[in-house]
Amino acid sequence: MNQPRTGRALLARLAVSLVTFWVIVTAVFFLLRLAPGGPFDGERQLPPEVEENLRAAYHLDEPLVVQYGRYLGMLARGDLGPSFKQKDFSVNELVASGAPVSLTVGGLALLLAVAGGIGTGVRAGLAPGSALDRTLMGVAGLGLALPSIVVAPVAVLVFAVLLGWLPAGGVDSPAHYVLPPVALALPFLAAIARLTRGSVAETLTEPHVRTALAKGLPAGRVLRRHVLPVALLPVVSYLGPAAAAMLTGSVVIEQVFELPGIGRYFVQAALNRDYTLVMGVVVVYAAFILTFNLLVDLAYTRLDPRIRLGGR
Amino acid sequence: MTARPVVRALLGDGLARLCTALLAAVILLAVAGPLLSPWSAEDIDWAALEAPPSAGHWFGTDLVGRDLFTRAAAGARVSLTIAAIATLVSVLIGVPWGAAAGYLGGRVDTVMMRIVDVLYALPFVLLVILLVVVFGRNPYLLFAGLGAVFWLDLARIVRGQTLRVRQAGFVEAARAMGAGPATIIRRHVLPNVAGPALVYATLTVPGVILAESFISFLGLGVQEPDTSLGVLIADGAQTMESAPWALVFPALLLAVTVWSINMLGDRLRDEIDARSGSAGHAGTRGSYNLRPARHGARP
Amino acid sequence: MTSNVLRRLWIAVLLGFGLSSPTGAALAAGDVLRLGNAGEPETLDPHRYNLRLEETILTDLFLGLTTFDAEANIVPGAAEGWQVSEDGLTWTFQLRPGLAWSDGEPLTAHDFVYAFRRLLAPDTAASLAYFMYPLANAAAVNAGELPPDRLGARALDDRTLELTLERPYPYLPERLLYPTGYPVPRHVIEAVGDDWVKPEHWVSNGAYRLADWQPQAAVTLVRNPHFAASGLQAPAIERLEYLPLASEQAAYNRYRAGEVHAIGAFPAGELPTVRERMPEHLRLSPLLSIMYLVFNTRAAPFDDVRVREALALAVDRRLLTDRVQRAGHVPSPSFVPALVSDYQPVPEPGADLDRPARLARARALLTEAGYGADRPLSITLRYVSGTETKRTNLAIAAFWREIGVETRLHQAELKVHFADLRQGDFEVAMAGWFGESNPEHYLGLWESSTGDVNYGGFAHPPFDARMAEAAGIADLAERNAVLREAERLGIARYPAVPLYSVTVRRLVSPDLDGWRENPRDAHPARFLRWR
Repeated sequence: MNQPRTGRALLARLAVSLVTFWVIVTAVFFLLRLAPGGPFDGERQLPPEVEENLRAAYHLDEPLVVQYGRYLGMLARGDLGPSFKQKDFSVNELVASGAPVSLTVGGLALLLAVAGGIGTGVRAGLAPGSALDRTLMGVAGLGLALPSIVVAPVAVLVFAVLLGWLPAGGVDSPAHYVLPPVALALPFLAAIARLTRGSVAETLTEPHVRTALAKGLPAGRVLRRHVLPVALLPVVSYLGPAAAAMLTGSVVIEQVFELPGIGRYFVQAALNRDYTLVMGVVVVYAAFILTFNLLVDLAYTRLDPRIRLGGR
Repeated sequence: MTARPVVRALLGDGLARLCTALLAAVILLAVAGPLLSPWSAEDIDWAALEAPPSAGHWFGTDLVGRDLFTRAAAGARVSLTIAAIATLVSVLIGVPWGAAAGYLGGRVDTVMMRIVDVLYALPFVLLVILLVVVFGRNPYLLFAGLGAVFWLDLARIVRGQTLRVRQAGFVEAARAMGAGPATIIRRHVLPNVAGPALVYATLTVPGVILAESFISFLGLGVQEPDTSLGVLIADGAQTMESAPWALVFPALLLAVTVWSINMLGDRLRDEIDARSGSAGHAGTRGSYNLRPARHGARP
Repeated sequence: MTSNVLRRLWIAVLLGFGLSSPTGAALAAGDVLRLGNAGEPETLDPHRYNLRLEETILTDLFLGLTTFDAEANIVPGAAEGWQVSEDGLTWTFQLRPGLAWSDGEPLTAHDFVYAFRRLLAPDTAASLAYFMYPLANAAAVNAGELPPDRLGARALDDRTLELTLERPYPYLPERLLYPTGYPVPRHVIEAVGDDWVKPEHWVSNGAYRLADWQPQAAVTLVRNPHFAASGLQAPAIERLEYLPLASEQAAYNRYRAGEVHAIGAFPAGELPTVRERMPEHLRLSPLLSIMYLVFNTRAAPFDDVRVREALALAVDRRLLTDRVQRAGHVPSPSFVPALVSDYQPVPEPGADLDRPARLARARALLTEAGYGADRPLSITLRYVSGTETKRTNLAIAAFWREIGVETRLHQAELKVHFADLRQGDFEVAMAGWFGESNPEHYLGLWESSTGDVNYGGFAHPPFDARMAEAAGIADLAERNAVLREAERLGIARYPAVPLYSVTVRRLVSPDLDGWRENPRDAHPARFLRWR
């Protein structure tokens, strides 16, 4: 039967994910320590005795391997350690306060990109070559070519400063969650639209769809039953890389909109050599991405008709 | 690959001709732009600090009075160069990887492509950012890092092509004559997958340009007085209101470049797909590369 | 101005809006005062703090022995008065009656003793512990060589505190303004340890106490009901929120979108627009500070004083501040800022020459040092990344090109930049020094014994001798006279090129009363009220 095999395959995936997670954590840990400078370089001079005190307080005086072991041990207990720079918070607290913001913005953006992208793509794909198709795809092409580093600041200027419709930054109310997800989602929406369009147009020419239409089944039903399940497969497999790319985008978006998410910590903490905070953000990112990809894998296995046919 | 499909893709219809013309204009600007302007990219015009576009400065000047036309041209040159080098790196990694996986097949193929699958889902640009932060802003690191991010797509494509080539008679013949896998891949597989690989490689160019602009926006890109489109946009966004031209021109240049390469790349790919009869994936490429078909999920 | 009209035309064309450029509406008066701060604080523990933006918040949370008035003059704080012994070594402070912590517990001289010992204990790992090194035995205690009870601080009774110094230090009242001199609540720290800085445990003695801290979003302060007992002016505004607005553009946007009442900076390029369109919001205040170029005097080419002088002469400060930066910064021909009180700074020797004379002399010096068209001087100039610093350093490179010097620019993040400087890994670099109103604070950077913050490794024995002489003098006027002589000797050797003193450009809601510009840019919220 198919069930055990799927189960085993998923277990194997899980194992690969865990190994990947470990590789990422290890690579970033040593990468950071290779960097010149340390967390206590500041503009004001530190007398050597003070710097020694600081280093001892954070176990930075131990051999690197011991520090690595200590970190893995802490990680296993779910403890991301103290932040070197945000001295009044543990990394767990910082992540706990930042992750909901990042996930809300990212989740809304993903939703918007998927819903908007598929909607647009299906409309265009149903009538390949039509004026509607060309217009939508032309706009989508532009969406891909205008990076969020241009769209986001201009959006703030227009909608927050000039028009005063929406807030310029922060997360005090639902209105604060409008501009950032939109700015983040646009290129992905465009990408998904183009992907869906091509896939739908192609599926329409396949024999089983033509047969269904020839039998006089209603177009809406053919679309739902025969076209979309096949046509959306590439979209589903795009979600993994899209989520990864969105994380990258969120670093910029959180900066432009001054959102208190974890993306903002990433660059700042790396520049400040706040080892534990960078590690914390990387751990959360990696865990999120790997879990998301497992889910996508699962969805894919469910959706793929070849697998379903093979199982029956 | 013969020249005809390329010509058809580049000049086939009005849109294609427009894109080709725009791209040619950008390249011309990047190559010859500095020659057209009396200013060098570093000259300061004390009489025109942060001045709007005029007859003397076609794109205006930046915050210290440097000619933005010249700087935009220099920036386009740097961005295109970074893109070209990163693409080359991605070819150097992706093509052998895909060819080896496709040719060797079986378990090796599964493992190699599984690795690609895993890497696909990682936010690599963030790792590049980390590298840049950690080791300083070395442009070579940037090229190499970006190239290492963008080879994944190429590996997939090349693998697919290799699978097809492997069945061909001349490969069978070579194998029968005792040639080893390395020789066959070098002599027979690579030349046959070169065309499609080249086309897909062009599609990584816009992605690299956008990734570079991201990194520059975060202040981690190319160093002054050198510049790139990303650096110009990041600076322009800082003076968006007092000097909007400093944002508009570089942003337009970037958008035009990315858009026209995307469009032309799509067409080239469609031509290739039509010729080789493979199932098309008429979706987009560009900054966020798509996976053509999932490899590992088949029963 | 045509260029301004053109600018607005551009915005209009590009964004499709009318010709009036936006000024937005500042946030109206309310119960909560929302203030933009320069970034996210790293800690609110006054003994572990490190940043100016933390000082801003801590000033509202705590009260030291001395404090600011609304114009940032030094006035008695928790101490109502003090006496200094003849030799300048023993300082006796009388605390105000009725001092209390925000939980109602009485605050005594013993709390101050505890605080100074905690600051200097090695375990606290306070990065600014050395601020209190003027106290007797402080350095030894901090190094763990002496027990904390040997520190020169003791309580004579609940309301009398005696501080003993290592050497005379007439600037002690100013030094006590810093958070390193603030008391901390022993009764809470001994109960909950490091968690005392959490809002739920927070106890302080300032006009406000910490109510909430959402990382990267806001630090919320509420009025401390027990502050009035100190007899100092109690705050009028109930609640404060400090928002971390690190980007000038973002701060400017949010101010105009009506989301904050005051911001610390906006993009320099917007100064003309702000002056024209929203002058009632604009607050420009010169800051006690010096921005300068420092030469690495350890190695060629800058071990040659002629080269240093030539590069200093080629810099045109006025052109830099007025034409290039246009941010209102004040050119400074002397290393000690003009705003330092009771002191007459010594300008660079060539300061009164006109531009052509300076350039001519600079070229002659370079030729003398062996550089010319056939052997051009080629150097690397380092600076901290940022829009304004980039502008500044590009201009300096252009000045030097005029005397035939080729300059490569190297920008780095703040941390990396200063780490490189402290290791002496640079040729010439831009640096800045902020803070105190005493000449030693600045001149100390040139003492050969200063260590790595004397970035360029400058060493000039006659200068050192004068500085050492000054350190033993308790009388301020006498001391400053000797310091002035030291400055004259120092600047003649060109260890650095003083450039300008920073002018802070703030936007402050006109609804807010009591905001006074001052050279420390300190604006304790207890002096603010709604109009």
